[in-house]
Amino acid sequence: MNVIIADDEDLARRLLREYVNGEPDIEIVAECANGFETVKAVIERRPDVLFLDVQMPKLDGFEVLELIDPGIAVVFVTAFDQYAMRAFDAAAVDYLLKPFPVERFREALARARRRVSAQTGAPSPSSSDLRNAARAPGEFLQRIVVRDGAKVHVIPAGKLDFAEAQDDYVALRSESKTWLKQQTIASLETALDPGRFLRAHRSYLVNVEKITRVEPNTKDTWTAILVDGSRVPMSRSGYARFRGLLADGQNRE
Amino acid sequence: MLYMAAWVPLGAILGLLAASTGHLSPAEAAAVIFPAIVLLAFICLSPWYTCPSLPLRSSPIGKLLLHHLFAACVVSGGVVLIARLAASGLSRVMPGINLRFSAATPVLTAMIAMVYLLSVALHYAVIEAQTSRRSELLAREAQLKALKAQVNPHFLFNSLNSISALTAIDAARARAMCIRLAEFLRVSLRLGERASIPFREEMELTRMYLDVEQVRFGDRLRLLQNLDSACADCEIPPLLIQPLVENAVKHGVALLDEGGEITMTCRLEQDRLWFTIQNPFDPEAPASRGGMGLENVRQRIDARYGDRARMEVEAGERTWKVVLTLPMRGL
Repeated sequence: MNVIIADDEDLARRLLREYVNGEPDIEIVAECANGFETVKAVIERRPDVLFLDVQMPKLDGFEVLELIDPGIAVVFVTAFDQYAMRAFDAAAVDYLLKPFPVERFREALARARRRVSAQTGAPSPSSSDLRNAARAPGEFLQRIVVRDGAKVHVIPAGKLDFAEAQDDYVALRSESKTWLKQQTIASLETALDPGRFLRAHRSYLVNVEKITRVEPNTKDTWTAILVDGSRVPMSRSGYARFRGLLADGQNRE
Repeated sequence: MLYMAAWVPLGAILGLLAASTGHLSPAEAAAVIFPAIVLLAFICLSPWYTCPSLPLRSSPIGKLLLHHLFAACVVSGGVVLIARLAASGLSRVMPGINLRFSAATPVLTAMIAMVYLLSVALHYAVIEAQTSRRSELLAREAQLKALKAQVNPHFLFNSLNSISALTAIDAARARAMCIRLAEFLRVSLRLGERASIPFREEMELTRMYLDVEQVRFGDRLRLLQNLDSACADCEIPPLLIQPLVENAVKHGVALLDEGGEITMTCRLEQDRLWFTIQNPFDPEAPASRGGMGLENVRQRIDARYGDRARMEVEAGERTWKVVLTLPMRGL
Protein backbone atom coordinates (compact mmCIF):
# COMPACT_ATOMS: atom_id res chain seq x y z
CA MET A 1 0.00 0.00 0.00
CA ASN A 2 1.27 3.45 -0.91
CA VAL A 3 0.98 6.46 1.32
CA ILE A 4 1.76 10.17 1.12
CA ILE A 5 2.58 12.28 4.15
CA ALA A 6 1.66 15.95 4.07
CA ASP A 7 2.73 18.22 6.92
CA ASP A 8 4.68 21.46 6.88
CA GLU A 9 6.64 20.60 10.02
CA ASP A 10 9.71 18.48 9.47
CA LEU A 11 9.46 16.75 12.86
CA ALA A 12 5.81 15.90 12.34
CA ARG A 13 6.68 14.25 9.02
CA ARG A 14 9.54 12.36 10.63
CA LEU A 15 7.26 10.99 13.31
CA LEU A 16 4.81 9.69 10.71
CA ARG A 17 7.70 8.28 8.71
CA GLU A 18 8.88 6.42 11.80
CA TYR A 19 5.43 4.94 12.38
CA VAL A 20 4.98 4.00 8.72
CA ASN A 21 8.42 2.37 8.60
CA GLY A 22 7.25 0.00 11.30
CA GLU A 23 4.65 -1.41 8.92
CA PRO A 24 6.06 -4.05 6.55
CA ASP A 25 3.85 -3.60 3.50
CA ILE A 26 3.59 0.15 3.36
CA GLU A 27 5.65 2.47 1.24
CA ILE A 28 5.90 6.24 1.42
CA VAL A 29 5.76 7.53 -2.14
CA ALA A 30 5.99 11.23 -1.30
CA GLU A 31 6.36 13.69 1.54
CA CYS A 32 4.95 17.17 1.10
CA ALA A 33 5.36 20.37 3.07
CA ASN A 34 2.57 22.47 1.58
CA GLY A 35 -0.84 22.21 -0.05
CA PHE A 36 0.25 22.73 -3.65
CA GLU A 37 2.92 20.04 -3.42
CA THR A 38 0.42 17.69 -1.84
CA VAL A 39 -2.16 18.05 -4.59
CA LYS A 40 0.50 17.61 -7.25
CA ALA A 41 2.00 14.54 -5.56
CA VAL A 42 -1.39 12.93 -5.00
CA ILE A 43 -2.33 13.35 -8.65
CA GLU A 44 1.01 12.11 -9.94
CA ARG A 45 1.56 9.24 -7.53
CA ARG A 46 -2.01 8.27 -6.72
CA PRO A 47 -1.45 6.92 -3.20
CA ASP A 48 -3.88 4.64 -1.41
CA VAL A 49 -3.74 6.66 1.77
CA LEU A 50 -2.96 10.31 2.46
CA PHE A 51 -1.99 11.57 5.91
CA LEU A 52 -3.03 15.17 5.70
CA ASP A 53 -2.22 18.01 8.11
CA VAL A 54 -5.05 20.53 8.42
CA GLN A 55 -2.90 23.67 8.66
CA MET A 56 -0.34 24.07 5.94
CA PRO A 57 1.02 26.86 3.75
CA LYS A 58 -0.57 27.48 0.33
CA LEU A 59 -3.63 25.29 0.83
CA ASP A 60 -5.13 23.94 4.01
CA GLY A 61 -6.11 20.30 4.40
CA PHE A 62 -9.74 20.91 3.49
CA GLU A 63 -8.77 22.65 0.30
CA VAL A 64 -6.48 19.77 -0.61
CA LEU A 65 -9.30 17.32 0.03
CA GLU A 66 -11.55 19.22 -2.36
CA LEU A 67 -9.00 18.93 -5.13
CA ILE A 68 -8.11 15.27 -4.99
CA ASP A 69 -9.79 12.04 -6.04
CA PRO A 70 -12.44 11.13 -3.45
CA GLY A 71 -11.37 7.49 -3.78
CA ILE A 72 -8.17 8.13 -1.80
CA ALA A 73 -8.42 7.27 1.89
CA VAL A 74 -7.59 10.45 3.76
CA VAL A 75 -6.56 10.53 7.41
CA PHE A 76 -6.51 14.07 8.77
CA VAL A 77 -3.83 15.01 11.27
CA THR A 78 -4.32 18.04 13.47
CA ALA A 79 -3.11 19.49 16.73
CA PHE A 80 -6.25 21.27 17.79
CA ASP A 81 -9.15 22.74 15.89
CA GLN A 82 -12.47 22.34 17.62
CA TYR A 83 -14.58 23.04 14.53
CA ALA A 84 -12.59 20.67 12.36
CA MET A 85 -12.78 17.92 14.97
CA ARG A 86 -16.54 18.32 15.25
CA ALA A 87 -16.86 18.11 11.46
CA PHE A 88 -14.69 14.97 11.29
CA ASP A 89 -16.75 13.32 14.00
CA ALA A 90 -20.02 14.22 12.31
CA ALA A 91 -18.85 12.91 8.95
CA ALA A 92 -17.07 9.85 10.42
CA VAL A 93 -13.82 10.96 8.81
CA ASP A 94 -10.79 9.48 10.51
CA TYR A 95 -8.31 11.84 12.11
CA LEU A 96 -5.27 11.75 14.37
CA LEU A 97 -4.76 14.26 17.15
CA LYS A 98 -1.16 15.31 17.70
CA PRO A 99 0.62 13.83 19.55
CA PHE A 100 -0.74 10.34 18.85
CA PRO A 101 0.60 6.91 19.90
CA VAL A 102 1.57 4.30 17.38
CA GLU A 103 -1.49 2.20 18.29
CA ARG A 104 -3.80 5.01 17.29
CA PHE A 105 -1.87 5.34 14.04
CA ARG A 106 -2.27 1.61 13.35
CA GLU A 107 -6.01 1.83 13.96
CA ALA A 108 -6.33 4.63 11.44
CA LEU A 109 -4.22 2.68 9.00
CA ALA A 110 -6.32 -0.45 9.44
CA ARG A 111 -9.47 1.50 8.74
CA ALA A 112 -7.90 3.08 5.67
CA ARG A 113 -6.81 -0.38 4.53
CA ARG A 114 -10.38 -1.64 4.77
CA ARG A 115 -11.56 1.30 2.72
CA VAL A 116 -8.93 0.65 0.08
CA SER A 117 -9.64 -3.09 -0.20
CA ALA A 118 -13.41 -2.61 -0.26
CA GLN A 119 -12.86 0.11 -2.88
CA THR A 120 -16.49 1.12 -2.56
CA GLY A 121 -15.99 1.93 1.11
CA ALA A 122 -18.29 4.04 3.18
CA PRO A 123 -19.86 6.75 1.08
CA SER A 124 -17.40 9.51 1.84
CA PRO A 125 -19.04 12.86 2.52
CA SER A 126 -18.62 15.48 -0.12
CA SER A 127 -15.39 17.32 0.59
CA SER A 128 -17.05 20.72 0.30
CA ASP A 129 -19.74 19.69 2.77
CA LEU A 130 -17.08 18.60 5.22
CA ARG A 131 -15.38 21.92 4.79
CA ASN A 132 -18.64 23.77 5.37
CA ALA A 133 -19.13 21.82 8.58
CA ALA A 134 -15.64 22.73 9.76
CA ARG A 135 -16.12 26.47 9.45
CA ALA A 136 -16.53 28.50 12.62
CA PRO A 137 -20.02 30.01 12.94
CA GLY A 138 -20.27 33.33 11.11
CA GLU A 139 -17.16 32.61 9.11
CA PHE A 140 -17.44 32.45 5.32
CA LEU A 141 -15.34 31.13 2.52
CA GLN A 142 -12.77 33.72 1.49
CA ARG A 143 -11.59 31.86 -1.57
CA ILE A 144 -12.43 28.95 -3.81
CA VAL A 145 -9.85 26.46 -5.00
CA VAL A 146 -10.14 24.77 -8.38
CA ARG A 147 -7.89 22.43 -10.27
CA ASP A 148 -6.91 22.30 -13.88
CA GLY A 149 -4.91 19.12 -14.42
CA ALA A 150 -2.23 19.23 -11.75
CA LYS A 151 -2.38 23.02 -11.56
CA VAL A 152 -4.24 24.57 -8.67
CA HIS A 153 -6.01 27.85 -9.11
CA VAL A 154 -7.26 30.01 -6.25
CA ILE A 155 -10.21 32.33 -6.83
CA PRO A 156 -10.69 34.95 -4.11
CA ALA A 157 -14.40 35.21 -3.27
CA GLY A 158 -14.42 38.90 -4.25
CA LYS A 159 -13.26 38.03 -7.77
CA LEU A 160 -15.97 35.48 -8.45
CA ASP A 161 -18.57 37.02 -10.79
CA PHE A 162 -21.10 34.25 -10.70
CA ALA A 163 -21.50 30.50 -10.48
CA GLU A 164 -23.75 28.36 -12.64
CA ALA A 165 -24.94 24.85 -11.81
CA GLN A 166 -24.10 22.31 -14.52
CA ASP A 167 -25.16 18.80 -13.56
CA ASP A 168 -22.75 17.66 -10.83
CA TYR A 169 -20.51 20.67 -11.36
CA VAL A 170 -20.53 24.37 -10.86
CA ALA A 171 -19.07 26.62 -13.52
CA LEU A 172 -17.26 29.48 -11.80
CA ARG A 173 -16.83 32.70 -13.75
CA SER A 174 -13.96 34.91 -12.65
CA GLU A 175 -11.81 37.42 -14.52
CA SER A 176 -13.21 36.38 -17.89
CA LYS A 177 -12.36 32.73 -17.32
CA THR A 178 -14.58 29.81 -16.49
CA TRP A 179 -13.56 27.05 -14.08
CA LEU A 180 -15.39 23.83 -13.45
CA LYS A 181 -15.58 22.32 -10.02
CA GLN A 182 -17.39 19.26 -8.74
CA GLN A 183 -19.72 20.75 -6.20
CA THR A 184 -23.41 21.52 -5.86
CA ILE A 185 -24.49 25.12 -6.12
CA ALA A 186 -26.35 24.77 -2.82
CA SER A 187 -23.19 23.80 -0.96
CA LEU A 188 -21.30 26.68 -2.56
CA GLU A 189 -24.12 29.00 -1.54
CA THR A 190 -23.90 27.97 2.14
CA ALA A 191 -20.13 28.46 2.12
CA LEU A 192 -20.20 32.01 0.81
CA ASP A 193 -21.24 35.18 2.63
CA PRO A 194 -25.00 35.57 2.05
CA GLY A 195 -24.55 39.34 2.24
CA ARG A 196 -22.37 39.27 -0.86
CA PHE A 197 -23.61 36.33 -2.89
CA LEU A 198 -27.16 36.02 -4.07
CA ARG A 199 -28.99 32.95 -5.28
CA ALA A 200 -30.50 34.77 -8.25
CA HIS A 201 -31.93 31.64 -9.77
CA ARG A 202 -32.18 27.93 -9.09
CA SER A 203 -29.00 27.44 -11.10
CA TYR A 204 -27.21 30.73 -10.48
CA LEU A 205 -25.32 32.31 -7.64
CA VAL A 206 -24.17 35.85 -8.31
CA ASN A 207 -21.74 38.28 -6.66
CA VAL A 208 -23.93 41.27 -5.76
CA GLU A 209 -21.02 43.71 -6.07
CA LYS A 210 -20.65 42.75 -9.73
CA ILE A 211 -24.23 43.60 -10.69
CA THR A 212 -24.47 46.85 -12.65
CA ARG A 213 -28.19 46.75 -13.43
CA VAL A 214 -31.21 44.47 -13.47
CA GLU A 215 -33.60 44.44 -16.42
CA PRO A 216 -37.10 43.03 -16.49
CA ASN A 217 -37.52 40.26 -19.02
CA THR A 218 -40.94 38.76 -19.00
CA LYS A 219 -43.57 39.17 -16.34
CA ASP A 220 -41.79 36.91 -13.87
CA THR A 221 -38.16 36.94 -14.91
CA TRP A 222 -35.36 39.44 -14.81
CA THR A 223 -31.80 39.59 -16.05
CA ALA A 224 -28.84 40.88 -14.05
CA ILE A 225 -26.16 42.55 -16.14
CA LEU A 226 -22.71 42.23 -14.57
CA VAL A 227 -19.66 44.48 -14.80
CA ASP A 228 -18.08 42.27 -17.45
CA GLY A 229 -21.28 42.23 -19.52
CA SER A 230 -22.40 38.72 -18.49
CA ARG A 231 -26.12 38.22 -18.25
CA VAL A 232 -27.45 36.19 -15.34
CA PRO A 233 -31.12 35.16 -15.20
CA MET A 234 -33.12 36.05 -12.12
CA SER A 235 -36.22 34.21 -11.05
CA ARG A 236 -39.08 35.84 -9.21
CA SER A 237 -37.84 34.65 -5.82
CA GLY A 238 -34.27 35.55 -6.79
CA TYR A 239 -35.43 39.06 -7.64
CA ALA A 240 -37.24 39.29 -4.30
CA ARG A 241 -34.05 38.24 -2.47
CA PHE A 242 -32.13 40.84 -4.48
CA ARG A 243 -34.55 43.57 -3.38
CA GLY A 244 -34.21 42.33 0.18
CA LEU A 245 -30.42 42.59 0.03
CA LEU A 246 -30.62 46.11 -1.37
CA ALA A 247 -33.00 47.15 1.39
CA ASP A 248 -30.69 45.62 4.01
CA GLY A 249 -27.76 47.50 2.50
CA GLN A 250 -29.64 50.78 2.67
CA ASN A 251 -30.71 50.16 6.24
CA ARG A 252 -27.12 49.63 7.24
CA GLU A 253 -26.10 52.94 5.69
CA MET B 1 -34.12 43.53 64.74
CA LEU B 2 -31.06 45.64 64.12
CA TYR B 3 -32.91 47.49 61.42
CA MET B 4 -35.82 48.26 63.78
CA ALA B 5 -33.40 49.32 66.50
CA ALA B 6 -31.89 51.84 64.10
CA TRP B 7 -35.32 53.42 63.85
CA VAL B 8 -35.57 54.09 67.61
CA PRO B 9 -33.54 57.33 67.59
CA LEU B 10 -35.29 58.47 64.43
CA GLY B 11 -38.65 57.80 66.07
CA ALA B 12 -37.50 59.70 69.14
CA ILE B 13 -36.55 62.72 67.02
CA LEU B 14 -39.90 62.68 65.24
CA GLY B 15 -41.68 62.31 68.59
CA LEU B 16 -39.80 65.27 70.06
CA LEU B 17 -40.56 67.31 66.99
CA ALA B 18 -44.26 66.49 67.24
CA ALA B 19 -44.21 67.23 70.96
CA SER B 20 -42.55 70.61 70.56
CA THR B 21 -44.59 71.86 67.59
CA GLY B 22 -47.91 70.48 68.78
CA HIS B 23 -47.32 70.88 72.54
CA LEU B 24 -48.04 67.18 73.01
CA SER B 25 -46.99 65.56 76.23
CA PRO B 26 -44.18 62.98 75.82
CA ALA B 27 -46.61 60.15 76.47
CA GLU B 28 -49.04 61.46 73.88
CA ALA B 29 -46.28 61.94 71.32
CA ALA B 30 -44.98 58.41 71.88
CA ALA B 31 -48.43 56.89 71.58
CA VAL B 32 -49.11 58.69 68.31
CA ILE B 33 -45.70 58.32 66.71
CA PHE B 34 -45.05 54.69 67.59
CA PRO B 35 -47.45 53.01 65.11
CA ALA B 36 -46.48 55.55 62.44
CA ILE B 37 -42.78 54.87 62.84
CA VAL B 38 -43.23 51.09 62.62
CA LEU B 39 -45.13 51.56 59.39
CA LEU B 40 -42.51 53.97 58.04
CA ALA B 41 -39.73 51.54 58.85
CA PHE B 42 -41.37 48.95 56.62
CA ILE B 43 -42.19 51.37 53.84
CA CYS B 44 -38.59 52.58 53.72
CA LEU B 45 -37.57 49.10 52.60
CA SER B 46 -39.65 49.44 49.45
CA PRO B 47 -37.01 51.38 47.43
CA TRP B 48 -35.09 48.10 47.38
CA TYR B 49 -37.57 47.08 44.71
CA THR B 50 -38.36 50.41 43.08
CA CYS B 51 -34.78 51.74 42.74
CA PRO B 52 -33.44 48.98 40.49
CA SER B 53 -36.36 49.53 38.12
CA LEU B 54 -35.35 53.20 37.85
CA PRO B 55 -31.56 53.04 37.48
CA LEU B 56 -29.82 56.28 38.40
CA ARG B 57 -27.70 56.54 35.27
CA SER B 58 -30.10 55.54 32.57
CA SER B 59 -33.44 57.04 33.72
CA PRO B 60 -34.40 60.58 32.70
CA ILE B 61 -33.89 62.93 35.63
CA GLY B 62 -37.48 64.31 35.40
CA LYS B 63 -39.01 60.87 35.63
CA LEU B 64 -36.72 60.00 38.49
CA LEU B 65 -37.64 63.08 40.54
CA LEU B 66 -41.34 62.81 39.73
CA HIS B 67 -41.50 59.18 40.73
CA HIS B 68 -39.69 59.47 44.03
CA LEU B 69 -41.26 62.80 45.06
CA PHE B 70 -44.72 61.42 44.35
CA ALA B 71 -43.91 58.29 46.33
CA ALA B 72 -42.60 60.49 49.19
CA CYS B 73 -45.87 62.47 49.25
CA VAL B 74 -47.99 59.31 49.29
CA VAL B 75 -45.84 57.72 52.00
CA SER B 76 -45.80 60.76 54.29
CA GLY B 77 -49.53 61.32 53.72
CA GLY B 78 -50.27 57.72 54.59
CA VAL B 79 -48.05 57.63 57.65
CA VAL B 80 -49.43 60.87 59.01
CA LEU B 81 -52.93 59.52 58.43
CA ILE B 82 -52.10 56.48 60.57
CA ALA B 83 -50.75 58.76 63.28
CA ARG B 84 -53.88 60.85 62.99
CA LEU B 85 -56.07 57.73 63.39
CA ALA B 86 -54.04 56.75 66.42
CA ALA B 87 -54.57 60.24 67.83
CA SER B 88 -58.32 60.15 67.34
CA GLY B 89 -58.43 56.68 68.88
CA LEU B 90 -56.64 58.07 71.90
CA SER B 91 -58.70 61.24 72.13
CA ARG B 92 -60.96 59.63 74.72
CA VAL B 93 -58.11 58.87 77.11
CA MET B 94 -56.10 61.94 76.18
CA PRO B 95 -58.54 64.75 75.57
CA GLY B 96 -57.43 67.49 73.19
CA ILE B 97 -54.84 65.34 71.53
CA ASN B 98 -56.51 65.70 68.12
CA LEU B 99 -56.20 69.45 68.05
CA ARG B 100 -52.64 69.49 69.29
CA PHE B 101 -51.66 66.80 66.80
CA SER B 102 -53.08 68.85 63.93
CA ALA B 103 -50.68 71.63 64.80
CA ALA B 104 -47.76 69.22 64.41
CA THR B 105 -49.02 67.69 61.11
CA PRO B 106 -47.21 69.93 58.55
CA VAL B 107 -43.79 69.53 60.15
CA LEU B 108 -44.32 65.81 60.66
CA THR B 109 -45.41 65.31 57.02
CA ALA B 110 -42.37 67.13 55.72
CA MET B 111 -40.04 65.20 58.01
CA ILE B 112 -41.45 61.83 57.02
CA ALA B 113 -41.15 62.69 53.34
CA MET B 114 -37.51 63.63 53.95
CA VAL B 115 -36.84 60.39 55.77
CA TYR B 116 -38.33 58.44 52.89
CA LEU B 117 -36.25 60.32 50.31
CA LEU B 118 -33.18 59.73 52.44
CA SER B 119 -33.83 56.02 52.33
CA VAL B 120 -34.19 56.20 48.53
CA ALA B 121 -30.80 57.93 48.31
CA LEU B 122 -29.29 55.32 50.60
CA HIS B 123 -30.60 52.53 48.42
CA TYR B 124 -29.12 54.12 45.32
CA ALA B 125 -25.77 54.40 47.06
CA VAL B 126 -25.85 50.71 47.95
CA ILE B 127 -26.83 49.70 44.41
CA GLU B 128 -24.06 51.86 42.97
CA ALA B 129 -21.46 50.31 45.23
CA GLN B 130 -22.61 46.85 44.25
CA THR B 131 -22.46 47.49 40.50
CA SER B 132 -19.01 49.03 40.71
CA ARG B 133 -17.78 45.99 42.58
CA ARG B 134 -19.39 43.75 40.00
CA SER B 135 -17.77 45.56 37.07
CA GLU B 136 -14.42 45.38 38.82
CA LEU B 137 -14.91 41.65 39.18
CA LEU B 138 -15.89 41.36 35.52
CA ALA B 139 -12.76 43.20 34.46
CA ARG B 140 -10.65 40.87 36.56
CA GLU B 141 -12.40 37.88 35.09
CA ALA B 142 -11.72 39.15 31.56
CA GLN B 143 -8.07 39.52 32.42
CA LEU B 144 -7.94 36.01 33.80
CA LYS B 145 -9.61 34.63 30.71
CA ALA B 146 -7.13 36.54 28.59
CA LEU B 147 -4.25 34.98 30.45
CA LYS B 148 -5.66 31.51 30.14
CA ALA B 149 -6.10 32.02 26.41
CA GLN B 150 -2.44 32.91 26.16
CA VAL B 151 -1.38 29.32 26.16
CA ASN B 152 -2.88 28.40 22.89
CA PRO B 153 -3.76 24.71 22.63
CA HIS B 154 -2.57 24.51 19.05
CA PHE B 155 0.90 25.57 20.11
CA LEU B 156 0.90 23.20 23.05
CA PHE B 157 -0.19 20.09 21.12
CA ASN B 158 2.13 20.78 18.22
CA SER B 159 5.04 21.17 20.61
CA LEU B 160 4.17 17.89 22.29
CA ASN B 161 4.08 16.28 18.87
CA SER B 162 7.56 17.61 18.14
CA ILE B 163 8.75 16.08 21.40
CA SER B 164 7.11 12.79 20.49
CA ALA B 165 8.97 12.82 17.17
CA LEU B 166 12.28 13.74 18.78
CA THR B 167 12.24 10.93 21.33
CA ALA B 168 13.16 8.41 18.63
CA ILE B 169 15.51 10.68 16.72
CA ASP B 170 17.41 12.56 19.38
CA ALA B 171 16.49 11.86 22.98
CA ALA B 172 18.62 14.68 24.34
CA ARG B 173 16.87 17.23 22.13
CA ALA B 174 13.50 15.81 23.14
CA ARG B 175 14.39 16.35 26.76
CA ALA B 176 15.67 19.85 26.07
CA MET B 177 12.39 20.70 24.36
CA CYS B 178 10.35 19.33 27.28
CA ILE B 179 12.31 21.57 29.58
CA ARG B 180 11.91 24.62 27.37
CA LEU B 181 8.19 24.06 27.11
CA ALA B 182 7.85 23.58 30.86
CA GLU B 183 9.89 26.71 31.46
CA PHE B 184 7.74 28.74 29.14
CA LEU B 185 4.51 27.51 30.76
CA ARG B 186 5.80 28.07 34.27
CA VAL B 187 7.05 31.58 33.59
CA SER B 188 3.91 32.63 31.74
CA LEU B 189 1.80 31.47 34.67
CA ARG B 190 4.00 33.30 37.13
CA LEU B 191 4.14 36.55 35.14
CA GLY B 192 0.41 36.44 34.51
CA GLU B 193 -0.28 36.90 38.19
CA ARG B 194 1.49 40.24 38.36
CA ALA B 195 -0.03 43.59 37.43
CA SER B 196 3.08 44.75 35.62
CA ILE B 197 6.53 43.43 34.89
CA PRO B 198 9.77 44.89 33.50
CA PHE B 199 9.98 44.80 29.72
CA ARG B 200 13.10 42.65 30.10
CA GLU B 201 11.11 39.83 31.73
CA GLU B 202 8.49 39.89 29.00
CA MET B 203 11.24 39.58 26.41
CA GLU B 204 12.70 36.62 28.29
CA LEU B 205 9.32 34.92 28.14
CA THR B 206 9.13 35.72 24.44
CA ARG B 207 12.52 34.14 23.93
CA MET B 208 11.37 30.97 25.72
CA TYR B 209 8.35 30.84 23.47
CA LEU B 210 10.50 31.29 20.37
CA ASP B 211 12.93 28.62 21.57
CA VAL B 212 10.09 26.11 21.53
CA GLU B 213 8.81 27.25 18.16
CA GLN B 214 12.32 27.09 16.79
CA VAL B 215 12.33 23.34 17.34
CA ARG B 216 9.07 23.02 15.43
CA PHE B 217 9.96 25.25 12.52
CA GLY B 218 13.73 24.91 12.39
CA ASP B 219 15.34 27.17 9.78
CA ARG B 220 11.97 28.48 8.69
CA LEU B 221 11.81 30.69 11.78
CA ARG B 222 14.40 33.47 11.87
CA LEU B 223 14.72 36.31 14.30
CA LEU B 224 16.14 39.82 14.27
CA GLN B 225 16.04 41.95 17.40
CA ASN B 226 17.02 45.53 18.00
CA LEU B 227 16.02 46.38 21.54
CA ASP B 228 17.25 49.56 23.17
CA SER B 229 18.64 48.70 26.59
CA ALA B 230 16.85 51.74 28.00
CA CYS B 231 13.62 49.79 27.65
CA ALA B 232 14.74 46.92 29.86
CA ASP B 233 13.34 48.24 33.11
CA CYS B 234 10.17 49.82 31.75
CA GLU B 235 7.12 48.40 33.50
CA ILE B 236 4.52 46.91 31.18
CA PRO B 237 1.49 44.64 31.66
CA PRO B 238 2.53 40.96 31.50
CA LEU B 239 1.97 38.81 28.41
CA LEU B 240 1.50 41.75 26.10
CA ILE B 241 4.39 41.17 23.69
CA GLN B 242 4.39 37.37 23.64
CA PRO B 243 0.93 37.13 21.96
CA LEU B 244 2.13 39.55 19.27
CA VAL B 245 5.09 37.29 18.59
CA GLU B 246 2.87 34.23 18.59
CA ASN B 247 0.66 35.96 16.06
CA ALA B 248 3.65 36.65 13.83
CA VAL B 249 4.58 32.99 13.93
CA LYS B 250 1.10 31.54 13.54
CA HIS B 251 -0.28 33.77 10.79
CA GLY B 252 3.02 34.71 9.19
CA VAL B 253 6.00 32.40 9.29
CA ALA B 254 4.04 29.16 9.79
CA LEU B 255 2.09 29.69 6.58
CA LEU B 256 5.14 30.46 4.50
CA ASP B 257 6.86 27.57 2.80
CA GLU B 258 10.27 29.11 3.08
CA GLY B 259 9.49 30.65 6.48
CA GLY B 260 10.58 34.17 7.28
CA GLU B 261 12.23 36.62 9.59
CA ILE B 262 10.49 38.24 12.55
CA THR B 263 11.91 41.66 13.36
CA MET B 264 11.41 43.29 16.75
CA THR B 265 12.56 46.75 17.74
CA CYS B 266 12.04 48.75 20.87
CA ARG B 267 12.98 52.27 21.91
CA LEU B 268 12.09 54.91 24.46
CA GLU B 269 10.97 58.27 23.20
CA GLN B 270 9.00 61.15 24.76
CA ASP B 271 8.08 59.14 27.86
CA ARG B 272 6.77 56.39 25.69
CA LEU B 273 7.82 52.86 24.92
CA TRP B 274 7.66 52.11 21.20
CA PHE B 275 7.62 48.45 20.34
CA THR B 276 7.49 47.28 16.73
CA ILE B 277 7.15 43.77 15.42
CA GLN B 278 7.21 42.93 11.75
CA ASN B 279 6.79 39.66 9.93
CA PRO B 280 6.36 38.51 6.35
CA PHE B 281 3.11 36.80 5.41
CA ASP B 282 1.65 35.10 2.40
CA PRO B 283 -1.30 37.19 1.13
CA GLU B 284 -2.53 34.09 -0.66
CA ALA B 285 -2.31 31.79 2.33
CA PRO B 286 -5.36 29.81 3.36
CA ALA B 287 -7.35 31.60 6.03
CA SER B 288 -5.92 30.87 9.46
CA ARG B 289 -8.21 31.19 12.38
CA GLY B 290 -8.42 33.93 14.91
CA GLY B 291 -6.65 37.22 15.38
CA MET B 292 -7.51 36.58 19.00
CA GLY B 293 -4.06 37.52 20.23
CA LEU B 294 -4.20 41.01 18.73
CA GLU B 295 -7.73 41.71 19.90
CA ASN B 296 -6.84 40.63 23.38
CA VAL B 297 -3.79 42.90 23.53
CA ARG B 298 -5.87 45.81 22.29
CA GLN B 299 -8.56 45.28 24.91
CA ARG B 300 -6.04 45.04 27.68
CA ILE B 301 -4.14 48.21 26.84
CA ASP B 302 -7.44 50.05 26.32
CA ALA B 303 -8.65 49.00 29.74
CA ARG B 304 -5.38 49.92 31.37
CA TYR B 305 -4.24 53.07 29.59
CA GLY B 306 -7.24 54.37 27.63
CA ASP B 307 -6.17 56.95 25.03
CA ARG B 308 -2.61 57.07 26.28
CA ALA B 309 -1.64 53.79 24.66
CA ARG B 310 -1.96 52.78 21.03
CA MET B 311 -1.70 49.71 18.91
CA GLU B 312 -1.45 50.22 15.18
CA VAL B 313 -1.53 47.45 12.64
CA GLU B 314 -0.03 48.09 9.23
CA ALA B 315 -0.75 45.36 6.71
CA GLY B 316 1.51 45.73 3.72
CA GLU B 317 1.47 43.62 0.60
CA ARG B 318 3.69 40.96 2.09
CA THR B 319 4.65 42.28 5.51
CA TRP B 320 2.59 42.71 8.61
CA LYS B 321 3.61 45.25 11.18
CA VAL B 322 2.29 46.05 14.64
CA VAL B 323 3.38 49.16 16.50
CA LEU B 324 2.63 49.32 20.19
CA THR B 325 3.04 52.59 22.11
CA LEU B 326 2.76 52.60 25.88
CA PRO B 327 3.06 55.54 28.27
CA MET B 328 5.85 55.22 30.82
CA ARG B 329 5.38 56.79 34.21
CA GLY B 330 8.22 58.49 36.04
CA LEU B 331 10.57 58.62 33.07
